[in-house]
Amino acid sequence: MGGKLIKYPIYVTVLLLFVLFIIIPVFYTLLFFEGDWVENLKLLDQRILYLLVKSILIAFSIASFATFFGTILGFLLYRTNLRFRNFYRIALMIPLFISPYILAVAWKDLFFLFTGNSDRISSETGVILVLGIIFTPLSMLITGNAFNNINTHLEEAGLMITDLRSLIFKIILPLIKPALFTSFVLIFIFSISEFSVPSYFGVRLFTTEMFTQFSAFYNHSLAVLQSALLIFICVVLLYADRKYLADAPFLSYGGKGKKVKIFSLKKFKISDELFVFFWFFISVLLPFSVLIIQSFKGGISKFIQAFELLKPTFFSSIWLAFLGAAISVFIGFTAAYISEVRRIKTFDWFLLFVFAIPSTIFGISLIKFYNHPYLDFIYSGFVIVIIGYIGKFSFIAAKLIGNAIKQIPQSLEEAAQIEGIGFYRRIQKIVFPLVLPAVFTAFIINFTFSIGELGTTIMVYPPGSEIMPVKVFTIMANAPQSLVSAMTLIVLGVTLLLITIMYLMVKPMLKNYSDANY
Amino acid sequence: MPIIELKNITHAYGAKKVLEDVSLNIDPGKLTCLLGGSGSGKTTILRLIAGLEIPEKGKIYIENKPVTDDSKILIPSHERNLGFIFQDLALWPHFTVFENIAFGLKERRSQHIEQRVSEILSFFDLKDFDEKYPHQISGGQQQLVAISRALVLEPKILLMDEPLSGLDVKLKRKILEHIKDLKKSFDVTLVYVTHDHREAFAIADQIIVLNEGKVVEAASAKEIKQSENEYIKYFLEY
Repeated sequence: MGGKLIKYPIYVTVLLLFVLFIIIPVFYTLLFFEGDWVENLKLLDQRILYLLVKSILIAFSIASFATFFGTILGFLLYRTNLRFRNFYRIALMIPLFISPYILAVAWKDLFFLFTGNSDRISSETGVILVLGIIFTPLSMLITGNAFNNINTHLEEAGLMITDLRSLIFKIILPLIKPALFTSFVLIFIFSISEFSVPSYFGVRLFTTEMFTQFSAFYNHSLAVLQSALLIFICVVLLYADRKYLADAPFLSYGGKGKKVKIFSLKKFKISDELFVFFWFFISVLLPFSVLIIQSFKGGISKFIQAFELLKPTFFSSIWLAFLGAAISVFIGFTAAYISEVRRIKTFDWFLLFVFAIPSTIFGISLIKFYNHPYLDFIYSGFVIVIIGYIGKFSFIAAKLIGNAIKQIPQSLEEAAQIEGIGFYRRIQKIVFPLVLPAVFTAFIINFTFSIGELGTTIMVYPPGSEIMPVKVFTIMANAPQSLVSAMTLIVLGVTLLLITIMYLMVKPMLKNYSDANY
Repeated sequence: MPIIELKNITHAYGAKKVLEDVSLNIDPGKLTCLLGGSGSGKTTILRLIAGLEIPEKGKIYIENKPVTDDSKILIPSHERNLGFIFQDLALWPHFTVFENIAFGLKERRSQHIEQRVSEILSFFDLKDFDEKYPHQISGGQQQLVAISRALVLEPKILLMDEPLSGLDVKLKRKILEHIKDLKKSFDVTLVYVTHDHREAFAIADQIIVLNEGKVVEAASAKEIKQSENEYIKYFLEY
């Protein structure tokens, strides 16, 4: 493989830089932390193990909840004649693209508005409900894609001998078992790593405990030990589902004219439509309406105050997310091309590994590694924040672009090769233009995730700097609810506005390319 | 003297051997068909000649010059002076018909690009489609664009990998007539891969029959028709 790699100096350089700046810090933190491993293991007392078990149970509940409802929604929206399914497919994704704490604030507002207090939602059940709602669209995306990829003939053969209900349970669901497992594993990993929602609801879990040990008590040994435990759980799950996750077919832009069988809902049409609308209502309409009501409850003054507080964060947040997304897309493209065309998967594994590490742990690793006098230029500036974004989200870019590259027939590049077009020119003139829509999609998604990223950012942001989600989160504990709601609404508004602007800018280009098929 | 010569070529995809000690010659100015069922190794031979695959063992000569020696590439694809028509045609979907044909010329900084593209478009009756994208023209026209794109670079050899597989019989017949004329009109040697013996008999000067990675027989179309070889007799029955 070494011989093969040497032919691609850019790939090797990018890979080495990724390992140097992102992978080494994680291993450094785990392998060279202060104190003795055996001594530190004694720190894992019953209280901490109880928190771990509690976190696992909550993550298990969230993953089951989201996979169950996500599969139902995936089937209804991808494979049936449900009305407005194209609208719902986009609208129901909204919770996934905004920071989890935004929905947590909205749900707390909702309970406060209707019951006068928010104690009920500030509980383990609240964490399960809110994170379950947030991650259901991820399951919908994964299972929906799997439903779409079932060979139509297998379903039609089933329909010749049985009814739709039997077909779903006996043929379709067993066929998408790998996707169901992936959905469960990914959501479990994300849930057990999530920090902002349990922290906002005041529910003590493993991640919040780690954050407290690291940031409040400066007990780095214990925090790192807890991190190691969590990484172990994530890596084991990752390994169990490595094949499907490494391909991540659900992270793809569009589909090249694949025909799928659309099932008629017949007598269940109205009840199914009501169910999907109900989901849209509780996951999007209701929380955001309440957020708006709460924001303006204290009058316009609270809104102005929130805007003034957030104003200094806009510029830095936007350019950091922009730069992070641009670099992630470049890394993603480089990794994806070599992975899909030359079948060298090394980079994929590194990207997936960091993607699956809980954000707070990744943040701790970066701090522990870069907090040295000779690396101060990274530690005390914005570079560490960008490294955080790149580490967390390059996997998404690589998979989106990789799945687009996979759809380009190899012959298109070979035809150019025979005509004497050099390697870099082929990339520039043939491959890159053909995956441009996926590149833009990857950029917009990475930008959105980066601008809302909290878990890593809150650990690594340079003191005195102003970053949007960190500002909101640090103010949450002491500010009146209406101010928090107003700030959250502004963050949401800014994010949606930027996505809309970027989408409108690239839309004409995406249209041109969607007409071409190969 | 053959224009293409394969000597003792062995090739495998991973553990699966696809060619075993294959030797064959292709004569200049002729239309040679590589005929065989799926998995016979015909496409692999074409890709090896083009330099898109590197053989495990053996030598390939083009115009008497060695282009590969065991697993070493001595002359890369684009310096072998050949054109390739892929089974899926490989027309670049984001380029117009004109751009598809002109791209290689532009990259080679050739002279009189517009004129050369225009001439070949006229030859194949494609003049009215130069601004269209591949998906906006018919399957038959796409075939002709792929042929034009290869021929505009004036190759000595044109390799064709089952280029008519997606067409109906009527269109196939029309394009086959075009292909037969190419030898004379463009002074080019053609190597044509097909699994359809009727197609091979309709156009070939020479046919090389392959089975399971080995050459069964190489002879003129007439001789292949009358062959006593069991496999060929069986193959021609269907």
